[in-house]
Amino acid sequence: MNIWASALVVARRDFTSIVLTPTFLLFLLAPLLMIGFAALGGTGAGQLAQSAEASEYIVAIVPSEQLSAFVAADAGLRNVSNPPRLVMRASQDARIGALGRDPNVVAILSGSAERPRILERAPGSYAGRYLATLAETVARQGLARAADTHAASSARFETIASTGTTRAAQAGLGYGAVFALFLLSLLLGGQTVGMLAEEKGNKVIEIMAAAAPLEGVFLGKLLGMLGVALLFIAFWAALIGGGIALVSAQAPGTLGGLLSLTPAIGWPWFIVLATLYFLSAFLLLGSVFLGVGAQANTVREIQMLSLPITFFQVAMFSLASAAANAPGTIWANVAQWLPWSSPFAMAARGATDAALWPHVMALSWQALWIAITIALAVRLFRAGVLRSGGGLALPWRRKVTTPKADIAC
Amino acid sequence: MIRASREANLTHNVVAEGLGKNFGDYRAVDDVSLSIREGSIFGVLGPNGAGKTTTLRMLMGIIDPDQGKCSVLDAARPRDVAHRIGYLPEERGLYPSMTARDSIAFMGALRGLSWAEGRRRADVRLEALGLGHASALKVRKLSKGMAQMVQLVGALVHDPELIVLDEPFSGLDPVNQERLEALVRAERDRGATIILSTHVMAHAQRLCDELAIIAGGQRRFLGSVEQARALLPMLVRYRPRVDGHLDDMAQLLPADATRQDGEWRFALADDGVEPLLSALVAAHHGVEALAIARPDLHDAFVHIVGAADQSAGAMS
Repeated sequence: MNIWASALVVARRDFTSIVLTPTFLLFLLAPLLMIGFAALGGTGAGQLAQSAEASEYIVAIVPSEQLSAFVAADAGLRNVSNPPRLVMRASQDARIGALGRDPNVVAILSGSAERPRILERAPGSYAGRYLATLAETVARQGLARAADTHAASSARFETIASTGTTRAAQAGLGYGAVFALFLLSLLLGGQTVGMLAEEKGNKVIEIMAAAAPLEGVFLGKLLGMLGVALLFIAFWAALIGGGIALVSAQAPGTLGGLLSLTPAIGWPWFIVLATLYFLSAFLLLGSVFLGVGAQANTVREIQMLSLPITFFQVAMFSLASAAANAPGTIWANVAQWLPWSSPFAMAARGATDAALWPHVMALSWQALWIAITIALAVRLFRAGVLRSGGGLALPWRRKVTTPKADIAC
Repeated sequence: MIRASREANLTHNVVAEGLGKNFGDYRAVDDVSLSIREGSIFGVLGPNGAGKTTTLRMLMGIIDPDQGKCSVLDAARPRDVAHRIGYLPEERGLYPSMTARDSIAFMGALRGLSWAEGRRRADVRLEALGLGHASALKVRKLSKGMAQMVQLVGALVHDPELIVLDEPFSGLDPVNQERLEALVRAERDRGATIILSTHVMAHAQRLCDELAIIAGGQRRFLGSVEQARALLPMLVRYRPRVDGHLDDMAQLLPADATRQDGEWRFALADDGVEPLLSALVAAHHGVEALAIARPDLHDAFVHIVGAADQSAGAMS
């Protein structure tokens, strides 16, 4: 029986043995039970909020003769408040339209200090009020010089129509993708190792080892859990999609903000890439877990091994979270290159970066590492499952010289 | 499907030469060679820890030998013919949450049988063993003996040409042991080659056409049951009609004669029992009972393994 045929037999058994049990319902609903992970996500969310604030800015387009006055007034006001970063433009050089389409611009001042026109993303926003105060300060300084006591400035406020998703929201979407992938791999990794422990405990593994190539058994276990994972994803996708459709139909506009959220690469590509990155993450991490888990003989040993496995997962999650929160930084690059965090980090990148070619490269890079990891993990698996033969040829494991030429069976 | 009739032939389904296996510093199997005729029942006997299971695992390609080579069903790599082999491991393994039928079908599917055909055969074979009622039961609901029979059916469901049974009788009650013996003979009659390991000599003596005795990782004997039994001389059991003085009688009997429950036991001399009987009758001891029997496999096994132990002791 070839590797793929035996893999399908093992995958079918594992898939049905998980899915066709009442406890699968618990597994399916596990995300609700794991809401506690939100606390873990809180750290990332905090960083995310800071990152979001850092990427927002306000713009003042003023006559060139008032530029220096605005800069000076801004410097003074920043001592007592903390507005978004201010970008100054001379009115003859700047066009409001282009700036208004930038989702990171939260408010724009135009006109003059005396007759300012303020466009803001959200009516009554702090950024808009700050620009009004800035104009008022500059205007008062001008009147003071002229000894005039009249009102210095009267601002006219307008709201900018929302034309896209802010970078902060996209980063949030990326973080959500990282979190979802991490949650799934955590759930499924534990399941895979747990099933292997059961098989080693009840000795079924020896029957499988006698009947089929262990590579097939290994791949079958991965595929079986992958099937469970895809079912899991389909269930939640249907549930969430159905919920959104229902709410939109019942109360149009309720989810307006949510529905306008768009990843930089666009939803179709984002969904395709997220699915591919999930497959990649599962195969990379699942094979590591299976290979390491096969070294354990008892449930206690499995529990002992689960700890470093979980640490490893959390480390990869943290790295990818950092990448999601700070795109373009060195940590983001490290996370995108490191094979075991790359699927998470690249999924996040899809939310903030519209370029497609990095994903092609990343998927190729990950495919290479999937092959390497599976090859190594199969050897670990074989050595661990049978406690002999075919394992890693480490020097301390091979104490007796083997005349290779004589070995034929 | 394999040969329908069993006929004497010299085709060897399994040939192993100089197999050796180390686990760290421990030499589990050392230079074991075997050749097993097609359509025969071959016993691998030995005390606990002798290396039987390791030898079987190497023959099936579950583990690689460190030394030696083997050919199984004409394949140099046993894994290439795994679908033609049925295996019942010493440590039984079934998924507790699967039904007996599905467990058998799963084992068949691993050997290339379709799930549907596996389920159909499972029902038929369980019924034949009087276990039809267990087909839809989950394994966790089965008794140990029933689960073992289910696993055995799983090992045979794809009609393998080579069947390897590691300690198949352990854990079975006498009725199921009889059933298993009948099943093994039926498989042999179907044309399958059967390798079974056991340390229960009675089963081996009744079933095996040939056997190997392994002790301390080395093969100590290879041949038929009769050849093993012939390693020891015939045993004479003599009960005199009149005991008389024991010392007088002992002088007439061979030096190795021992007395137990009024019966004398000693090895049959090369010139037969008649000269001794004449002397005993002449000395008025008479004959109340006399039996000349070939030692059974148990005695031969103890003799062979004991000699191996002595040899190992002398070497150390």
